[in-house]
Amino acid sequence: MSNEVKPTYTLDERGEVCPVPDVDTRRKLKEMKSGEILEVLIDYALSKERIPAGVKEVGGEVISIEEIGPSEWRILIKKL
Amino acid sequence: MDPRLQGLLVGILFGIVLQRGRICFNSAIRDVKMTKDNYLMKLALLAILVETIGFHLAAQLGWIKLNPKPLIPLAQIIGGFLFGMGMVLAGGCASGVTYRIGEGYITAFIAAVFYGITAAAVKGGPLSFVNRWMGKPITTTNNPGGFYAAKDGAVNLTLANLLNINPWIVAIIFALLLLIVLVFWKTTERKVSGLNWITGGIALGLVGVIAYLSQKTYPLGITGGWVNLFRTTTANLDLTQPIPYNWEGMEIVGIIIGAYLAALFAKEFRLRVPKDPKTFVQVAVGGILMGFGAGSAGGCNIGHILSGLPHLAISSIVFTIFAVLGNWFMVWYLFERK
Repeated sequence: MSNEVKPTYTLDERGEVCPVPDVDTRRKLKEMKSGEILEVLIDYALSKERIPAGVKEVGGEVISIEEIGPSEWRILIKKL
Repeated sequence: MDPRLQGLLVGILFGIVLQRGRICFNSAIRDVKMTKDNYLMKLALLAILVETIGFHLAAQLGWIKLNPKPLIPLAQIIGGFLFGMGMVLAGGCASGVTYRIGEGYITAFIAAVFYGITAAAVKGGPLSFVNRWMGKPITTTNNPGGFYAAKDGAVNLTLANLLNINPWIVAIIFALLLLIVLVFWKTTERKVSGLNWITGGIALGLVGVIAYLSQKTYPLGITGGWVNLFRTTTANLDLTQPIPYNWEGMEIVGIIIGAYLAALFAKEFRLRVPKDPKTFVQVAVGGILMGFGAGSAGGCNIGHILSGLPHLAISSIVFTIFAVLGNWFMVWYLFERK
């Protein structure tokens, strides 16, 4: 399902220190246009739990969270 | 049981709870301001509530004497603010960077090393002159109900002994206030895969009570443990005498082992290295500020906030206020400034 969606932008946040993945995701979403898709790659479970809660405030909606490796996830977020 | 073995076991338990609850005081304080997310803050407040009742009960039963940290206003104001700024740069509080070593975070390891060495330098090392500038502790001779540990009749200040009233009065009012906040402050939604804020908060509080019953002189701490590890490991020792590793030093080793095992079991262990080398400098500077702050204030987010607030110690209340302000200032500077 999620593989059919083509992301407009990608943020590779693997290895980054808390809360950089959250902050970068929110900043990017703020400047995106409606309908564009953001792909965020992360490697920390806390980010996986926090990012979905934080994107709503900046007009984003999580489409999918996919595990792509050991403690590695790919989150797709759509700008509403 | 040897106190050091007890410290190791309590540390392992602490490390498991920190890892499974994803407990970070830096995030807890920051998120309330930055993302209006109170999830970890509520977890921390619940743990403090459990400890407030637990510590006073243990003292009432005569199992321990409450031992609040000494009040040196300048030390807690300046140290608290520096510590608060440092934890934002380091990407984690004192307990956060310690348990994240066990999860494979290279930046946490670097921050913890700089934090531990700087704290050792400030606490009785080459930088200890800083503490002489801060002044001497303010104490009282009030010891209501004999709850508190006294040294030559002097007791470190808490709200209860300042007012010279039964410590239970202050403890129960504080616990009720916390309860009201926990019940009426709407929890931010979060899908968690580990402990939630209620199970995590209760578990963290209980580990704190177990730690007090085990170590006797104080519950959980981080700064003193790192200082003990570095100082003992690099000292010129008389090997005919016992090697002076202590309860708190072994607790640090336990936290790292416990977090490692919990992360491994949950398949969350992974070596994490940032791409931008400047990040290493940032976390090292953060570690130095934390070490400087905790070393002079006499405790970190665990010693002063998690363990100190349940005592209603004035020192810990002052430290907490200024650590929160330092955190918010640095969050604004790094992430919110236009």
